[in-house]
Amino acid sequence: MTTKAAHINDDLIEALRGIVGDRLSLAEAVREQHGRDESYHDAFPPDVVVYPETTDEVSDIVKLCAARDVPVIPYGTGTSLEGHVAALKGGVCIDLMRLDRIISVNPEDMDVTVEAGVTRKKLNEDLRDTGLFFPIDPGADASIGGMTATRASGTNAVRYGTMRENVLAMTVVMADGRIIRTSRRARKSSAGYDLTRLFVGSEGTLGVITEITLRLYGIPEAVSSAVCSFPDLEAAIETVISTIHAGVPVARIELLDDVQMDAINKYSKMDFPVLPTLFFEFHGSKNGVVEQVETVEALATDVGASDFQWAVKQEDRNRLWQARHDSLYACMALKPGSKGMATDVCVPISRLAECILETRKDIEETGLLAPIVGHVGDGNFHVILLIDTEDKDDLEICKAFNERLVMRALAMDGTCTGEHGIGYGKMDFLVAEHGEAVSVMRAVKMALDPQNIMNPGKIVRV
Amino acid sequence: MSQTLKPETAEHLLEVLKWAVAEKSSLDVRGNGTKQGFGRPMRTTHTLDLSGLSGIKVYEPHELFMTAYSGTPVADIEAALRQNNQQMAFEPADLGPLLGMAEGTGTIGGVIACNLAGPRRIQAGAARDHFLGFNAVSGRGEVFKSGGTVVKNVTGFDLSKLIAGSFGTLAVMTEATFKVLPAAEKTRTVLALGLTDTRAMKAMSQALGSANDVSGAAHLPAAQAARSGVSYVSGAGQAVTAVRVEGPGPSVEHRCQAIRGLWADKGAQLEELHSQNSAALWKEIRDVRLLDAAEGKQVWRVSVPPMEGAGVGGELLGASGGEVFYDWGGGLIWLAHDGCPDANHDQVRAAVAKAGGHATLIRADADVRGLVPVFEPQPGPLGDITRRVKQGFDPEGVLNPGRMVEGV
Ligand SMILES: Cc1cc2nc3c(=O)[nH]c(=O)nc-3n(C[C@H](O)[C@H](O)[C@H](O)COP(=O)(O)OP(=O)(O)OC[C@H]3O[C@@H](n4cnc5c(N)ncnc54)[C@H](O)[C@@H]3O)c2cc1C
Repeated sequence: MTTKAAHINDDLIEALRGIVGDRLSLAEAVREQHGRDESYHDAFPPDVVVYPETTDEVSDIVKLCAARDVPVIPYGTGTSLEGHVAALKGGVCIDLMRLDRIISVNPEDMDVTVEAGVTRKKLNEDLRDTGLFFPIDPGADASIGGMTATRASGTNAVRYGTMRENVLAMTVVMADGRIIRTSRRARKSSAGYDLTRLFVGSEGTLGVITEITLRLYGIPEAVSSAVCSFPDLEAAIETVISTIHAGVPVARIELLDDVQMDAINKYSKMDFPVLPTLFFEFHGSKNGVVEQVETVEALATDVGASDFQWAVKQEDRNRLWQARHDSLYACMALKPGSKGMATDVCVPISRLAECILETRKDIEETGLLAPIVGHVGDGNFHVILLIDTEDKDDLEICKAFNERLVMRALAMDGTCTGEHGIGYGKMDFLVAEHGEAVSVMRAVKMALDPQNIMNPGKIVRV
Repeated sequence: MSQTLKPETAEHLLEVLKWAVAEKSSLDVRGNGTKQGFGRPMRTTHTLDLSGLSGIKVYEPHELFMTAYSGTPVADIEAALRQNNQQMAFEPADLGPLLGMAEGTGTIGGVIACNLAGPRRIQAGAARDHFLGFNAVSGRGEVFKSGGTVVKNVTGFDLSKLIAGSFGTLAVMTEATFKVLPAAEKTRTVLALGLTDTRAMKAMSQALGSANDVSGAAHLPAAQAARSGVSYVSGAGQAVTAVRVEGPGPSVEHRCQAIRGLWADKGAQLEELHSQNSAALWKEIRDVRLLDAAEGKQVWRVSVPPMEGAGVGGELLGASGGEVFYDWGGGLIWLAHDGCPDANHDQVRAAVAKAGGHATLIRADADVRGLVPVFEPQPGPLGDITRRVKQGFDPEGVLNPGRMVEGV
């Protein structure tokens, strides 16, 4: 397994020190932490972790590794969920969190250029005075570089899209160490192949992203959130579908099942009814929001929803959404000592009810404690499987469950992953879903990283 | 001898491509050929005509997506969508007339391959943002598919985005799946008359940055406004800045009011266009019908950060003696000027480079497009990647060789 790691020797470490000085660590705890994400996947520590502060330093590090055929693993906040950062073949982990400058904000053009290590919350804090914000909010306070590399999305993709739609340009250190700017601040039309989008979602396998230009949005004039419980899952999903079909530009629409609501109540000290629930948020002008709210309330009441609870005040809204974002941790607290395996299928919304109900049945038949939570406006939902990692059988049962879930989604014309990505955990599902396209992806990988040093063993086998 | 190959099925297309790869023949890949004048002129052995792969394959309005064979005319797709009050939100432009072809004959494959989007691009995104998945045959003669019918999907490299805007140089799509969305109930356009280019960019930025969900922002200097078929615009006798608002009735009225409020201090006369006139105006803007496109004129499309628009526009005018108008809040400049052997290439690129933008020569005679880089030239490493990606998909150079970059 570690043929390449053999190239790691004192000489390489010295050369790395020549670039980053003492911003380098060989400590076991540090390496261990950098080889592990927030999932149940086994950790594979890198041989060394370096902390560059500039694009040029990253370029020098990659050049060094390329010359010696040593794997390079970019690392943001390590919150990915499919073993993305595992150093399967050892190598040099580049921790990008010291590239943390906001380079330029252009309020009139509504864009911002940041370094890869800026986190989404830090960015929005810095933007506050401009009247603009960056909407994409995965549950974790991830780095913009990591979010770009995983093509992340959050709770408001229905209205604002995902990283795919919101990255305008980036600076990338390629596998041979050369630095490129994939496009410019101008909206891209036709200046060659769309390399920007190719790097979005490349999971560190094509190059190291060091700067990203993002599209920003005006902070809406009015924002209103609501929580609404439903008698059953069908009614909740029915409301989601009718809302989308009515063309209501809802900003967030999240489904949490009764098990998840129970977990949230306990973890975040709330007292919601323990029923299938939708969390909504509406953005727009004052009148626009009122209109949206009225439409959705009517649709929900039609199918038997009860007690719409409104949160208009910022602190109430923040509390609500923080509870939603903490749902993974809330789940894990249901079974102390467990690790969460978050499934991630996405199906066409017309099949969503069917898919969730069959899955619910499977959960019961398998005898699992597994809350369901989802960004249902785009057909994406997670089952949180609580795994006792010490118990091998438990892991196997959960893996088999996930496999059935993926196959169910594929049969419904869906996908195995709506937002978490492939990493090394889902490579076989990628083949099941895309067949021949995987060989085309391999051709792309070989074109950009012929030595296969960039995060080897992820997305496609070379 | 050169032939035109016109497959009627995906299987037939695969055979054609396998044969071309084996023979090392190159193919000029086209839908209905409306955009054959777009890109570098090519010398290919044969022509691959995809218009036989036509028809809507799956359209269930409730699913909010459509799958169509790549040679399906956009006009057919739009007609089917209209019956269900839906649309392709990226507002595909019909550049046929600008390029000297008939109106309404472009195919969906062509729209995606050229990543053509209209004024709503600033709000709804480009063609590639609505392009969910495809089936294709690569230049290796291998069938593959990517993406699917769901809107969120992170299964490996985003091949759909690579194919969109690749001008048929990487793979030949047999079918494409794209989002379709409800059409707005009501459309209105707020006009400000007589703003200078610079003040217009500011005004548009203000409207776009507000909570009014603007879905189009264009500025027409007086001479271009005068060409409009909408009398309010042509009769203004001065420059016209237009901002579009779409949605349910009361909300549209409220937002128009809000934009008028934002613009109240501009000292400009404000007007409003209702649905029909709005539709007509935005179609003229989308299809670039407001420039003098008489025979012999050359046309550039220039993208810049929106606030640089007026400055770059001024420089382009000075350098070429032509005319311009602005879309995308100033981020898109259309320039037309008298034909000349170098298409004012150096001046255009210099003006655009300073602002951090890029320029594409959309219309010029084939000999000019053979001499002048049509697309923004890519410096060192970027050019290398382009070459290597092309090599990965199409090692024998079968598909549209040299259409984007000489020798690629
Ligand atoms: C509680 C919780 C909730 C979550 N919710 C969501 C959600 O709602 N939506 C969602 O999409 N995801 C979600 N995730 C997953 C995770 O947060 C995202 O995948 C996130 O984008 C990862 O960012 P990161 O900075 O942690 O990247 P890391 O985990 O550090 O890295 C992820 C991958 O990107 C690569 N990488 C990182 N930085 C760079 C760079 N600068 N250049 C090149 N490659 C790089 C790494 O090599 C690795 O392959 C959640 C995770 C947790 C723990």
